[in-house]
Amino acid sequence: MPTLTINGKQVTVPAGTPIIRAAAQVGVNIPHFCYHPTLSTPGNCRMCLVEASDARGLAASCYHKCTEGAVVNTETARVKAARQAVLEFILVNHPVDCPICDQAGECKLQDYYMTHDHKPSRVTTAKNSKSKAKPIGPHVVFDGERCILCTRCIRFCDEITGTSELTTEQRGDHTEITTFPGRELDNAYSMCVTDLCPVGALTTRDFRFKTRVWLLSSTDSLCTGCSRGCNIHMEHHEGEVKRYRPRLNPEVNEYWMCDEGRLSYQHHNLGRTTAIRLRDQREVQWPRAARQTAEALTAAVAKANGQVAMLTSPQLSCESLLAAREFASTVLGNATVYVGGNPSGGNDAFLITSDKNPNRAGVVQVFGPAILANTAYKLLEEMEQGRVQALYLMRGELPFDTAGRARFAAALSRVALVVYQGPHGLDLEERAHIFLPSATHAEQDGTYVNETGYAQAAYAAVPAMGQALADWDVLSRIARAAEMPLSFDSFDALHATLAATIAAE
Amino acid sequence: MERVITANWHVEKAYTLSVYQQHGGFKSLKKVFGMERGAVVPELIKSNLRGRGGAGFPVGAKWSFLPKGTDVPKYLVVNADEGEPGTFKDRFIMERDPHRLMEGCIIAGFTLGLKAAYIYVRGELVLATRRMEAAIAELYAAGLLGKNIQGSGLDFDIYVHRGAGAYICGEETALIESLEGKTGQPRLKPPYPAVVGVFGCPTVVNNVESIACVPLVIERGAEWWAAQGSEKNGGPKIVQISGTVKRPGTYEVPNGISLRDVVFSDLYGGGPLDGRTIRAVIPGGTSCPVLRADQLDVKHDFDALKEKPFETMAGTSGVIVMDETVCVVRIAARIARFYHHESCGQCTPCREGTGWVSKILDRIEAGGAKRAEVDQLLDIVNNIRGNTICPFGDAVGMSIGAYLRQFPEEFIAHVEQGRCTYPAW
Ligand SMILES: Cc1cc2nc3c(=O)[nH]c(=O)nc-3n(C[C@H](O)[C@H](O)[C@H](O)COP(=O)(O)O)c2cc1C
Ligand code: SF4
Ligand code: SF4
Ligand code: SF4
Ligand code: FES
Repeated sequence: MPTLTINGKQVTVPAGTPIIRAAAQVGVNIPHFCYHPTLSTPGNCRMCLVEASDARGLAASCYHKCTEGAVVNTETARVKAARQAVLEFILVNHPVDCPICDQAGECKLQDYYMTHDHKPSRVTTAKNSKSKAKPIGPHVVFDGERCILCTRCIRFCDEITGTSELTTEQRGDHTEITTFPGRELDNAYSMCVTDLCPVGALTTRDFRFKTRVWLLSSTDSLCTGCSRGCNIHMEHHEGEVKRYRPRLNPEVNEYWMCDEGRLSYQHHNLGRTTAIRLRDQREVQWPRAARQTAEALTAAVAKANGQVAMLTSPQLSCESLLAAREFASTVLGNATVYVGGNPSGGNDAFLITSDKNPNRAGVVQVFGPAILANTAYKLLEEMEQGRVQALYLMRGELPFDTAGRARFAAALSRVALVVYQGPHGLDLEERAHIFLPSATHAEQDGTYVNETGYAQAAYAAVPAMGQALADWDVLSRIARAAEMPLSFDSFDALHATLAATIAAE
Repeated sequence: MERVITANWHVEKAYTLSVYQQHGGFKSLKKVFGMERGAVVPELIKSNLRGRGGAGFPVGAKWSFLPKGTDVPKYLVVNADEGEPGTFKDRFIMERDPHRLMEGCIIAGFTLGLKAAYIYVRGELVLATRRMEAAIAELYAAGLLGKNIQGSGLDFDIYVHRGAGAYICGEETALIESLEGKTGQPRLKPPYPAVVGVFGCPTVVNNVESIACVPLVIERGAEWWAAQGSEKNGGPKIVQISGTVKRPGTYEVPNGISLRDVVFSDLYGGGPLDGRTIRAVIPGGTSCPVLRADQLDVKHDFDALKEKPFETMAGTSGVIVMDETVCVVRIAARIARFYHHESCGQCTPCREGTGWVSKILDRIEAGGAKRAEVDQLLDIVNNIRGNTICPFGDAVGMSIGAYLRQFPEEFIAHVEQGRCTYPAW
């Protein structure tokens, strides 16, 4: 455990720690391009050079290990000059096409130029031209001129995904990142290279030219694509979710997320059904909708002889589920609760899990493990047997294939009253007597418990679309109209109840 | 002077085992087999044999760094890439006297307990490759390679591997990467090859001439070898003279001979072409800072050339001579173009700087540059130097910087006259 001094501050670190990490521990940020804590260290960008008493020249702090008694200075004139020199070298052949570069605004080269160099260019020679706007895989587009050859992308494919699609070709300032012959950058995590790329050399085809990043707001959230629950920055502009980016969580997803999950932001914008429909009435406002739904449910439950069902979903947050639990026992008169959600799918040894729902563990926490026996298939059979008179559907994802979904849709016609609450109408909307639009997880706060039992918060990022409301709010309005108000009247109160319930049970 | 290293170069068919043995070949190996294993390295240290690949690192010391008594295999890698412009000595050893190199390899194998030697040969050297492959075949047939060589208990193999023509693959760690089948790019150090070398195993990397000298040190004895050179620079060595001299060629000289003698002596360079005056001399391959003609009174060895006011290097002992008809700006521009072409492209200052420098120099040569760009050039090369992964970047900084330092008036004249006044090549 060597102890060393960095900019006058003492720090003790495990043997073998590179200076750059020890510096971070005492709040000293050393600029760097190629270094990344999860990847091997090529020491190629030379941006992290510092003065170290045990080095002959300047030391690459990403690589130079801390030694006992070393004195490190990161802000001397010599270090600053070396940084400026490296930035100047990078710009010799850099196109500086920031105005048309998606990375502008979140580009390390821009940032470092502003903080460490900020001098007019003295480059008088012609720049090399290289690949521009070259798609190198289904999701990623490459710009060779912007590339600073830090090799983070190559190392990601070698060391994290193990797929090794990328390499360099040519030599010297003609070096370019490329895919191996006959291959493309096509792996389940390919877009992570766009996060790793410090500049605009690798950008996603999906986000290309969509929004200037400085216009984006970011909210801490989760991916709901599977039960991993990767932590994300949910980024949005003018009320629309524009992209997901992974948010560091060493316990869950480290720096990464899968491509499918990343692109799943689209479900906030696409296929939404955001208007209330009461039988054939449209353009209904919430007070009347709540009242009429309450009346219809009360009447149906009274007639149903206990044959009332609710379909909940592992797509819902714990708070929504807790509200549903209370609603089922009060307004729905102890309805039988079933669990829907997406069918399971492929998984891998890294992040992707086979449960394509974010909160099955939350369903178990809220309803108890026995709930899992109440599958959507069981509900389907009950409906087909005519043993369901009233059904409250929360979300339309079902663990069925297309044929199964069609069967489910057909069975709905045997139920006297179907109320369907969800952000997307899917193929079930027309079969419901009442459709009530609800918020996606981008539009409401919520807690989700991932496969390993890790409870995580997702915060509302954008206002709910159209007439959609948070799930708890929909239920709460109906319950109030039915004169059986739920035990909470705000999300915060619900969240507190959830915490207390889970702690107690 | 007696030829020692080059003794066999003019012997007919010395590249065959029988002729090599007729001229004393493999006596040193026999001697080593009779010695204590531990006795060879001290002998090499005492001999002051310095590496002939450019940096002049003491061979004995390098061998002594190899970890002892490990379970992992250890290797010798012979650097036969000979890429430094102005250097042409290793190829003759390989073409004309390959068995001497092999004998050195086997001595290293026995002394250091090595599993094998890899000779990484510059791809263009086809004859050298063929001669070495033939030599190796002869040695296997004669029981001088393979299992239990001459009853010594040594199992040892030698492999020849051809490079694909990249200067940077002469840098020892890039060479190792290339040998392993990867892109030839230098590694970050430490670890040094003695600890993590080829295939992750401890490795000694030595130049062809360095290894070929080993049997000679054993044959003549460390004292004799040390006495042939200057202080800490033992033995004879091979200088290679090119450029505007009467007798360009390859000569064996005692270490520490004066650079003036190398250039002017009738035994060696023979002085300038008739009616010409020597203006500049590069003492050891293009990576070494250039000297002016008034700076030739210096010992040609690894230590003296480093001192002020010379501040250059003995390098590969490839001496390049230029007279007054040679435009040094053009020379600098050509060398910069070489560096631009050969930079491996890994690290920023060298990758981007070499091209930048080359383009500016081309423009200065053509006469289209501004005065400010001349000063800028020195600044740029100094920014490359010392900030890179491998010594290639330092070489760019030192060599190009030296032209600017030694001949500033030439650069300014090009700018001011707007053209090069020297005859075209
Ligand atoms: C850019 C570069 C090119 C080099 N090329 C060669 C070469 O062609 N042959 C060689 O023997 N050494 C070359 N070297 C030196 C080697 O890295 C290494 O120091 C040498 O092979 C060690 O052998 P020695 O100790 O016997 O001299 C080169 C070094 C650099 C930095
Ligand atoms: S594409 Fe981006 S991540 Fe890859 S080497 Fe270039 S700058 Fe680095
Ligand atoms: S692994 Fe799962 S949670 Fe993570 S991004 Fe992919 S789908 Fe989303
Ligand atoms: S200094 Fe030049 S040759 Fe050496 S590693 Fe860096 S880019 Fe490659
Ligand atoms: S971060 Fe250290 S060299 Fe790139």
